[in-house]
Amino acid sequence: MENLVNAFVNLDEESVLRIVKDLLGAGKDPFEILEACRRATTIIGEKFERGEYFLSELVFAGEIFNGVMKIILPEIKREVKPIATMVLGTVHGDIHDIGKNIFKVFAEAAGFKVIDLGVDVPPEKFVEAVRIHNPEIVGMSGLLTISYEFMKKTIDALKEAGLRDRVKVIIGGGRVDEHVKRYTGADEWADNAMVGVRKCREILGLGG
Amino acid sequence: MEIKSKSPEELLKERFGRFEKAVELGEPDKVPLAIFTCGDILRKYAKGYELYFNYDKAREVSVKFVTDYPVDILLAALAAEGFIFSLAFSNYPDIAPTIRFWTGPMHDALGDKYTKWPGRELPEDNIFQFIGGEFMRAEEYGKFSDDPITFINEVIFPRACVNLEKIGSPKANAALIRLGFEASRYLKYLVDSAMDLAKVGMPSLPITFAYTPLDFIGDFLRYPTGALIDLRRHPSEVKQACEALVEPIIKVALSLKPAGAKYAFIPLHLNEYLSPKLYNEFYWPTLKKIIVDLYGHGIKSFIFFEGWHDPHIETILELPKGWGIAYFEKTDVRKAKKILSGHTCIMGGIPPSLLLEATPDKIDEYIKNLLSEMKPGGGFILSPGVADIPRDVPHVNLKALIEAVEKYGGY
Repeated sequence: MENLVNAFVNLDEESVLRIVKDLLGAGKDPFEILEACRRATTIIGEKFERGEYFLSELVFAGEIFNGVMKIILPEIKREVKPIATMVLGTVHGDIHDIGKNIFKVFAEAAGFKVIDLGVDVPPEKFVEAVRIHNPEIVGMSGLLTISYEFMKKTIDALKEAGLRDRVKVIIGGGRVDEHVKRYTGADEWADNAMVGVRKCREILGLGG
Repeated sequence: MEIKSKSPEELLKERFGRFEKAVELGEPDKVPLAIFTCGDILRKYAKGYELYFNYDKAREVSVKFVTDYPVDILLAALAAEGFIFSLAFSNYPDIAPTIRFWTGPMHDALGDKYTKWPGRELPEDNIFQFIGGEFMRAEEYGKFSDDPITFINEVIFPRACVNLEKIGSPKANAALIRLGFEASRYLKYLVDSAMDLAKVGMPSLPITFAYTPLDFIGDFLRYPTGALIDLRRHPSEVKQACEALVEPIIKVALSLKPAGAKYAFIPLHLNEYLSPKLYNEFYWPTLKKIIVDLYGHGIKSFIFFEGWHDPHIETILELPKGWGIAYFEKTDVRKAKKILSGHTCIMGGIPPSLLLEATPDKIDEYIKNLLSEMKPGGGFILSPGVADIPRDVPHVNLKALIEAVEKYGGY
């Protein structure tokens, strides 16, 4: 299993997929394989935060993780309990999703159940999703400066619906910062996927 | 205010001179303030839809903005990224530069899948958005590299533009003729708008356009994440494709040289995604070749270093001194100055989010502190970093910015 973690951390796609198939063939519990891959993504996240890895490494790690999931998900028979649920989407008016999608892979790898609402998500859709899924976290993404106003409007809509206090709101995107957090009324912000996942854990008191 | 008493001619000379002096790494009379927008801040005056589909309105709005906010340079790019069309016509210098950017009506003519527009796919009061897409398969790199221009015209366009699905069909021919009509209207708008702005003392920069080969692959052929994955699965094919793009990109940039172009605008996209190793292997060598070649032709590059460029900043020193303008977004311009001072003109320094959220006093204080560090030695252009300025930035905050530059910007 350590071979798998090492190959994954080194982004050696071929070896990862081969080892996963070998382990499954040898009758290894697919849940343990999943756990090993999650450990690898945590290490990759740490490397990113230390400046050893960059976004291109995250993108490729996401690609490898998705490849592994395709193989092992059908094999996992028992229920995987998420650490928390998150409603995620790119806010209304913005149709960019590269950042959101990178974040989603790593949030799932960290054990979150992610309800992905897609792009250009109107405030009322966020409100409706919070009602239905009762998440701990609402994650709002946006690339353009135009997204700031809809992050704010979405948070206002959550307030009006009486749901704001039930959730923690994190905003994410290359151009969000402390100013945008204050402007929108969010609880946290992150301008990259790994910090985003760490902050999601932190605001729920799950440790970094 | 003092500037009101100057004639438009005097203001034009003064503002452009200020900009040029900074680019030449000198100290002008005052730090120039430049504003770049794709339309977000201009939605204060008109709906997004009008900015891109109604050239008269776009002209009017630009004049209103610079009258309300007398900056030194307004760079209003009210059209979307369309470099692939310039490149496809790079053997025709009379056509290539006219279709570098796509306006709303050009999008209507082509039915391209790269961009989305207010009043079309987006609500009327939005701004245009470039999303790109995957229009080439990884196994097609070889064919692309053999002859990029033919491959784009014959294979990519039919996939990327609904109205060009069948090359040579009446529908596709009509789309190209419509594109030509529109390019002609757009050119007239650019000339008219420059004249409107000159009448109120606002210079327009003599600009041409280039691109980074790897960004071209990410934006127009493989989607950014696809290009990043290709770096690992198909490294030699990507390198070859980047090399094949250098010559046509330079051709596009030089097509405006006879018209007096002095600056080549190059927006970077994948720079902040890459580790120094990947940047130096796949991104920088061909970009550097383009910058150096254009510099040899008397054209300085005007580069948008999008996002966080810190890990790659030292590579800029490999360029000849005075090569052009480094416009930063999230890279701290103070840190950049420590490395690039006396070598590169630095532009940026103001987070747009500060203008949105801070009070006028805080903005005054921020500009005062920033300029006290950035002013000495010259070679600095103050600007909100690369991204747009949000429409909801309060009027008093923009005023506070302009007044702060008046107060603290003088040499």
